Amino acid sequence: MSDTPTIPRSSGSIPRSSSRSKKPKKSQIPYAFVVLAVITLVGILLALQSSQLGFFWVTGCIFGFILQRSRFCFTAAMRDPYLTGGTSLSRAVLIAFAVATLGFAAIKYAFFLRGLPMPGESFVVPISFATIAGAFMFGIGMVIAGGCASGTFMRIGEGFTMQMLAVVFFIIGSFWGARDMGWWTEKFIVHGPRVFLPDVFGWLGAVVVQLVFIAVLYILATKWENRKNEL
Amino acid sequence: MKEEVLDCNGEACPVPLVKAQNKLKELEVGDVLVVQVDHSCAMKNVPEWARKEGHNVEIEEVDDGEWEIVIQKAK
Repeated sequence: MSDTPTIPRSSGSIPRSSSRSKKPKKSQIPYAFVVLAVITLVGILLALQSSQLGFFWVTGCIFGFILQRSRFCFTAAMRDPYLTGGTSLSRAVLIAFAVATLGFAAIKYAFFLRGLPMPGESFVVPISFATIAGAFMFGIGMVIAGGCASGTFMRIGEGFTMQMLAVVFFIIGSFWGARDMGWWTEKFIVHGPRVFLPDVFGWLGAVVVQLVFIAVLYILATKWENRKNEL
Repeated sequence: MKEEVLDCNGEACPVPLVKAQNKLKELEVGDVLVVQVDHSCAMKNVPEWARKEGHNVEIEEVDDGEWEIVIQKAK
């Protein structure tokens, strides 16, 4: 605290001279019913094609809804600790990782016990310089574009025009990346170690190690938030 | 007591926050800064930062998907 005068935290309203006249808002509930009807109709049509498509449609719609209503944002989770000193979204992402760790471990272990090929095994790719380079470029891109992939799509749904431009370049970037993937694979990816945690620590060990790691990050995030408050 | 309006409509997430941070530095204690945003993410991180800094913050939804974040500099 310094010697400069401070204004007490008011619970009442802040005095303002200018105020935009509020337009009376139209009820949006009819639109909600139209959207719900369209979602249901498309869902039925997709499910008739294949039950998997219908399932993807439903989970996609639910994911988008939760993403929008909760203002969940992976970009902000990475950026806000530096920019605002707030770590609420970072901790939300860590909790999501912890929940996903348990869920994925359970699904994979169930397949493993039955001797079936585990789903998502193709995503266990070697760690290499390509991982670092890609993460760095994606990080720059998502901060400039104001959202990662899911966040950008969610905000297009909200009607934010700038991000429609972002998604065009997101697609161009993805194609470019796919075009050069062979080069990256040959030069870096095949030389990297391929790590699947259950192979290293065992199934229980892998879950415990990952949860402990997440817990440590969570504690650090909480410390960071409180440290900033004292300044 | 001054009142400044910062028009950040059409600007994506970190931009309104950085602009608000810079603008608030120039203001005196007791001045009011009105940040106009239409990006839902800014509606979350601008108030979060301002409250953390100890300022008085109010959010008004002026239209569907358009908000005014009223910040009174408190220190």
